[in-house]
Amino acid sequence: MDKHRHSIQSYCLIRDRTITVNGQRYLDVEPTAALLDFLKTAYRQLDIDYPKFHKMDGLSKAIFIAVELIARESGPYNDDTALVFSNYSSSYLADSRHAMDIFNGTHPMASPATFVYTLPNIAMGEISIRHQLHSENVFFIFDSYLPEFLVPYGTAMLDDGKTSGILSGWTEVTDTRCDVFLYHIGKTGGMPHTIEHLKRLYQG
Amino acid sequence: MSELTQELKAKIITQLNLEDLTVDDLDDNTPLFGDGLGLDSIDALELIVMLDKGYGIKLADPKEGRKVFETIQTMADYIEANRK
Amino acid sequence: MKAAVFIAGDHLITPLGLGSAANFGRILAGDVAIQPIEDTDLSDHRIHAARIDENVWLDNIHHPQRYTRLEQLIILALQAMIDAYRIPVDHSTLVVLSTTKGNITLLHRSQTAIPAERVFLPVMADALQHYFGFENRFITLSNACISGSLAISVARQLLQHNDKYQQAIVIGGDEISRFIVSGFDAFQALADEPCRPFDRDRKGLNLGEAIAAVYLSKTPTIGAINIMGIGSYNDANHISGPSRTGEGLYRSIREAMRQAGDPALDFISAHGTATAYNDEMEAIALQRCGLTAVPVHSLKGYYGHTLGASGLLETVLGIQSLKHDQLIPSMGYAQQGTNHALNIITPENQGTERNTTLGTFLKTASGFGGCNIATVFQKI
Repeated sequence: MDKHRHSIQSYCLIRDRTITVNGQRYLDVEPTAALLDFLKTAYRQLDIDYPKFHKMDGLSKAIFIAVELIARESGPYNDDTALVFSNYSSSYLADSRHAMDIFNGTHPMASPATFVYTLPNIAMGEISIRHQLHSENVFFIFDSYLPEFLVPYGTAMLDDGKTSGILSGWTEVTDTRCDVFLYHIGKTGGMPHTIEHLKRLYQG
Repeated sequence: MSELTQELKAKIITQLNLEDLTVDDLDDNTPLFGDGLGLDSIDALELIVMLDKGYGIKLADPKEGRKVFETIQTMADYIEANRK
Repeated sequence: MKAAVFIAGDHLITPLGLGSAANFGRILAGDVAIQPIEDTDLSDHRIHAARIDENVWLDNIHHPQRYTRLEQLIILALQAMIDAYRIPVDHSTLVVLSTTKGNITLLHRSQTAIPAERVFLPVMADALQHYFGFENRFITLSNACISGSLAISVARQLLQHNDKYQQAIVIGGDEISRFIVSGFDAFQALADEPCRPFDRDRKGLNLGEAIAAVYLSKTPTIGAINIMGIGSYNDANHISGPSRTGEGLYRSIREAMRQAGDPALDFISAHGTATAYNDEMEAIALQRCGLTAVPVHSLKGYYGHTLGASGLLETVLGIQSLKHDQLIPSMGYAQQGTNHALNIITPENQGTERNTTLGTFLKTASGFGGCNIATVFQKI
């Protein structure tokens, strides 16, 4: 078991209010900071001009930041880089906002800009636009981060020649919890794309 | 009138999350779409909701929106003419 | 060379009836599931939608009060599949679940016997798994309007690469709710009449409900359908607006056709939501692929847009078309409504008679987030 043909080229972990890239601290804010404030701080620190960021929901923002940071390590991504993401809450942040819009207040009315994010794969659309990825996207909804599933799944995609690289991992973002672990799988790089190694990296 | 345009600018910035802009950055006659402010189709739909929620105006025909949402000024004119 | 994967069975629960043969008969007879609905639970105004009538199916579930309406529907479909094809509920069977919103109604309406956590898809999937006692956890995916077709692709890959699995059930379903209606309303995407895919006067889509399932097997049984090729590519253009060049769909079709060995297509089952931009985008992609002469239909004019079920529903009916050698007309179409003319199937041109023989079709789907998928199916 665990012979690997593919490598982790780089990875990013956003946990609670801390961001690390390849194990190195990138940003650290007060643990009590609001999610969106934290993500905005991270965006400012990226020092890029991408006003669309501010229109995204929390899930997309967190994923956007992680994918941006990974690109700085092992990018630019090939056009065919596939996206294989997973989480527990799907698009719960946007879902509850949309529910507030339509069920509460004196004048309940849906906001198209909120509704569009009530699908988890919208985040994959956002980064496909940002990094010009014309590739296969799949968003799994699991109980927890499941390298036992994702590693063989990604390996099969690469072995089948579907893609030359994959961004994969776990992207759980709610008001109370931010747990994003994304990594770039490819042919080169020092870290083995194996279940055991990813479990270790995920623990942080 | 200028009160309404100021109000619209503030609303647009908040509603459309134009984080990097302030009311002073927006000109009454800057095109909202295309080369101007660069708003997109979701923003257009959001402006329709804004008219409905904020001013009780229902834009029945989305094609009408193209003219109404040309600039802040055209929006203000439309609201003045149609609000109840 | 990877092992082939076949569709060896299917099941449908739709407003038009139970089972694929029954549904095929209904739509060939010109029956339409879309109706005007006035229900304040869904919307403050009248909508046109295709809703499953509970009274038709509410039986044969153990402890129905413990399951949401959507779960009950999925249970019924899974039970029908297990019974019809004697599918073992053991380690050899994989279940892939496709849904966009699952139990989203629980977000604003609690039900006494159902824990609120069931709004989360993993909890819903667990409840379904344990109802039957499946050994493997369900694989759930949520990829907007391509979910159903993508679930077939995922299941195929898992079967091809894992000796543990001998067969898979791929099942998709979504429910019409105020949550979804209000959102599509805000997008001004809903037609106030039965929708008219690809027609000049199309006004938008209708929402629909369906549960659709296919049984995938590594063994080619009599009457099985071979999944010849699948391509899935993002537009990388806009999160809600279809690409003006149809780039992602174009690439998806090209890849699916390449894998399939560029077969002659007998028909295309398009996504065809009947929104102005979607249908135009599809016509552009088909034109770029040189496929505008192939007979094409959208089934949204019968069932509306059934979201997470749509790719599966339309695949199952496409397979019926192959098996009966009879094309399904595109309901609601009268006049060319895209810049590139397509060969839309109508009752007049080719839809009423048994065709000599149909062997191969292409199914496409596109969705929010810029995702697209194309799959080639062939009779063996």
